[in-house]
Amino acid sequence: MKKLMVTTTKSYGSFPPASLPEEPVGIGLRTPHYEDVLETDLKLGWLEVHPENYFGGGVHRHLLSEARKKYNLSLHAVGLSLGSDEPVSEEHLRQFKELIDIFQPFNVSDHASWSASGNAHLNDLLPLPYTQASLDKLARNVETSQEYFGRKILIENPSTYLAFEGNEMHEDVFMNTLAEMTGCGILLDLNNIYVQAHNHGYDAWSYIETIDPRHVGEMHLAGHIEQKAGDGIILVDTHSRPVKGDVWDLYKHAVEKIGVVPTLIEWDTDIPDLATIVAEADKARAIIQNLEMPRAAE
Amino acid sequence: MQLSEFQARFKDLMLDNPKALDNPPQDIAAFCMEGDIPLSERLKVYRNNIVGSLTDVMLATFPMMEKLVGREFLEMMARSFILEHPPENGCLSTYGDGFAEFIEGFELAASLPYLPDVARYELAMNKAYYAADDMALTAKSLGQVPPEDLADLKLALRDNVHLIVSAYPLNALSVFVMQEHAEGQFDMGQGGDKLMVSRPQLETQTLILKDDEHLALTKLHNGVTLGEMVEQVLENFPEFDFQSFLQKHIALETFLALNTNI
Repeated sequence: MKKLMVTTTKSYGSFPPASLPEEPVGIGLRTPHYEDVLETDLKLGWLEVHPENYFGGGVHRHLLSEARKKYNLSLHAVGLSLGSDEPVSEEHLRQFKELIDIFQPFNVSDHASWSASGNAHLNDLLPLPYTQASLDKLARNVETSQEYFGRKILIENPSTYLAFEGNEMHEDVFMNTLAEMTGCGILLDLNNIYVQAHNHGYDAWSYIETIDPRHVGEMHLAGHIEQKAGDGIILVDTHSRPVKGDVWDLYKHAVEKIGVVPTLIEWDTDIPDLATIVAEADKARAIIQNLEMPRAAE
Repeated sequence: MQLSEFQARFKDLMLDNPKALDNPPQDIAAFCMEGDIPLSERLKVYRNNIVGSLTDVMLATFPMMEKLVGREFLEMMARSFILEHPPENGCLSTYGDGFAEFIEGFELAASLPYLPDVARYELAMNKAYYAADDMALTAKSLGQVPPEDLADLKLALRDNVHLIVSAYPLNALSVFVMQEHAEGQFDMGQGGDKLMVSRPQLETQTLILKDDEHLALTKLHNGVTLGEMVEQVLENFPEFDFQSFLQKHIALETFLALNTNI
């Protein structure tokens, strides 16, 4: 990593409150690409990072402030564990809000899943039974977060590998209901819809039909892998590959149905060079342009 | 099953012996749907995500240890550690507290007595790297303290400052193993280190401390006043030069700024 000189580590400057990016497609900013992103001018609407990687301070936060000078930003959390039976961690909220206050992201989000139970944080997006009881706990934690941040957050549908006998509704209805209960937005991950539909024998296209377009504030695209499991195949959301053709089709359908919202290309493992990820972003932009869709109402 | 009970049971299963996933407990099995994909395979995806991602976190934190024991051995230790000591919160950049003590009790590492100190050193480096960007004490602000108040002043160390004592030459070992082509023998018996790991601005650094200097910083870290510190250090080290100690560590940005409401 290039050596950077700063006179003080305390101040990151201040960024004006962000409005939605004019250019709808963004990419996840990951460590190997910092230098490229800072030194080249890319046709990207925005960048996304996980706030947890910027808690504390130091080099990462300094680099993020450099990137924020060039691009709009979305803070996409993976650690609030909003679906936990327990209340959301105040320390996590505090550190997250510190970043929101400094970097003024246009979107703030996390997932409809849980990671923490007791004093263990399992660092994965674990599945929830889709019941009213789960909804109540998740809604309570979403409301706590929105109050703490003083803003609306978006909640993403997770990739799931397990479904539960006690489910009282399907995930699409669960997501709509959560948005109605809390006023949060839905972050629609098309790859996750595709992965869970395969793993649980559901119809991904009908999921898109069910989702209330008024709630959708962002879409995500990523690659998954197929893994042999017994006599079947399980799809695993690895963020390690290009977006699959079927998922592009699903995205096109979602944009037709819902309208254009900020769309993210995610790539988190086996990270290729920046150009490969930017090419995926170009594909998403081409779909939007070919459809000539209006922007979804806010 | 209530949500709290399900989450607690699921967590226990994820942190159990890997073989437990082949025959999931009856209550979990009854709660989950199976379909074409066997339940054990579904559970293993989660288990692999959890252990795999946390192992990656640890590999990133302990590069020197990886050079010393090899990736496979470090991964094996990390996996055992993760199952016994999962993270307590969602801030993973400084995960690894307790790894040194875990290694002390890890039988397969018993022949490598320096390994726990390597873990302490690398965890300190990582904590310094991710420490909050607090403000350093400046000579100017210290100069504004009335001279009669100096003896009663308490100087705290910044969040990024860590003091380490080891019977092994950690600093030289780090330089030796992290070079591109580490060749030849390293003499682990060349004497121990008293170190300060810190990150004054953006670069994390390691400094070898003199004995009196280490004692002085330790005293300050423990909340002793400047006056008491000087007295106690002089008892052990009559040659201790307080003025140059202070100047040096103000220049190194070791101390936390006096005024927190800047």
